[in-house]
Amino acid sequence: MLGKSGFSRRGLLKFSIAMTASLALPPGVASAMAANLAQARRQSVIWLSFQECTGCLETLLRTSSPTIAALIFDYISLDYQEALMSAAGSAAELTLRQAVAANRGKYLLAIDGSVPVADGGVYSLTGGQANVSMLQQFAPDAAAILAIGTCAAYGGIPKAYPNPTGAVGVEDVITNKPIVNIPGCPPVPEVLSGVLVYFVSFGRLPDLDDRKRPLAYFGTTIHDQCYRRPFYDQGKFAKSFDDEGARQGWCLFELGCKGPTTHNACASLKWNDNTSFPIESGHGCLGCSEPDFWDQEGGFYTSLAGGKGPGWEDTGIAAAGGIAVGAAAAFAARHKTAKPPQGPQK
Amino acid sequence: MQNFDFLGDDGLVDALLMEAADLMQDFISYGRAGSIDLLGLPLSASCLAALEARLGQGEVAATVSISGESQTRETAIHGLWWTRHADETGRVVALLIEVAAVPEILRADREDMARGLRRLRGLTNFRLARPAS
Repeated sequence: MLGKSGFSRRGLLKFSIAMTASLALPPGVASAMAANLAQARRQSVIWLSFQECTGCLETLLRTSSPTIAALIFDYISLDYQEALMSAAGSAAELTLRQAVAANRGKYLLAIDGSVPVADGGVYSLTGGQANVSMLQQFAPDAAAILAIGTCAAYGGIPKAYPNPTGAVGVEDVITNKPIVNIPGCPPVPEVLSGVLVYFVSFGRLPDLDDRKRPLAYFGTTIHDQCYRRPFYDQGKFAKSFDDEGARQGWCLFELGCKGPTTHNACASLKWNDNTSFPIESGHGCLGCSEPDFWDQEGGFYTSLAGGKGPGWEDTGIAAAGGIAVGAAAAFAARHKTAKPPQGPQK
Repeated sequence: MQNFDFLGDDGLVDALLMEAADLMQDFISYGRAGSIDLLGLPLSASCLAALEARLGQGEVAATVSISGESQTRETAIHGLWWTRHADETGRVVALLIEVAAVPEILRADREDMARGLRRLRGLTNFRLARPAS
């Protein structure tokens, strides 16, 4: 497989080194990951799109490195994905049945979009079958489920008040399968790549947090990793999007940034070939990887402190405390995740 | 890489040197290679520079060009390597202190060598003897 893909062992090792760093695994695991990848069978992935906007699929197609993406596609077999496959209608339905039959108990079931359950799930159908019915049909034979995007993870925007379709996340319907949530609107593509590579390499899902998110990517907040964090610690806040503080790159906390309560890897992995992320583009974090982000109290432009940032008189305390807490949190989160995988679960 | 310039340097550098010393001892005693992922730690740019300066420059340096450039060089400590992996866009994807006789990324693989041998045979006008099967 390596020869066909044009990759030498060095190339595979380098890929594995980058992935272990991304997954916060000890660097010594890279050699084992490379060896496992060299022997790995292509992992069947069946991708079902429910109540969604296709943004999550777009994000997968925009992984930052074409070479790495090509390598990933050498290691997975995307057996069913309605927007990408050429088959349609009954031919597509046949493909789905064949893929399930050939990989029973082994395939990864990837879901994007929320699951509408109101009125028997009639608000989103594929081939006349309700999404909730499809999920209940195909989940039992999956090795694990990837809930891709905030909609699949927690219901997302379709779940926003008043939630007319009764939208819920995958874990609200399926409770007896390993599920990994990869939230974000859309999710960071490298997180999805990392989870797939981890599963292909070690036959199990990576360590998850209490919301079933990969700890390596969601173990810290945007705020902990933000390059504007020193300004928060110094008490320097932009008061509007065009004031002197904004031009100086000061912290956007008072403009509603949800970085302190949002767990995601945007600030470290960034977007569009590592170009930037929303805060770097001058806008606060919306908290899109957290449950119910659309309905959060006060809206996107009200600060988490209820309309104003920490008092200026507390600047000295914030600076001293913030540095220590921020550094300790970042350090602890990385090391909390840094344990080698314990062998296949399959 | 994140900016942690607001942190102090000396304590972290000393801690990392102690960890590297433990890895060196482990290699000398048991032959186990080891490494430290510097990108995963909250190190400031000045801290990294101080660490790199304290480790010094050794006798060997190499560049591996695949999926971007990887540069590895031996520090002034024999068997202690400073390795930087960048992707095609130049972004650093891993920065490691490695303890090994030779960094793993430099080692040629037998399967790759077998493919190389086929190419090598194709390069010559002579028919080279094939190994007995």
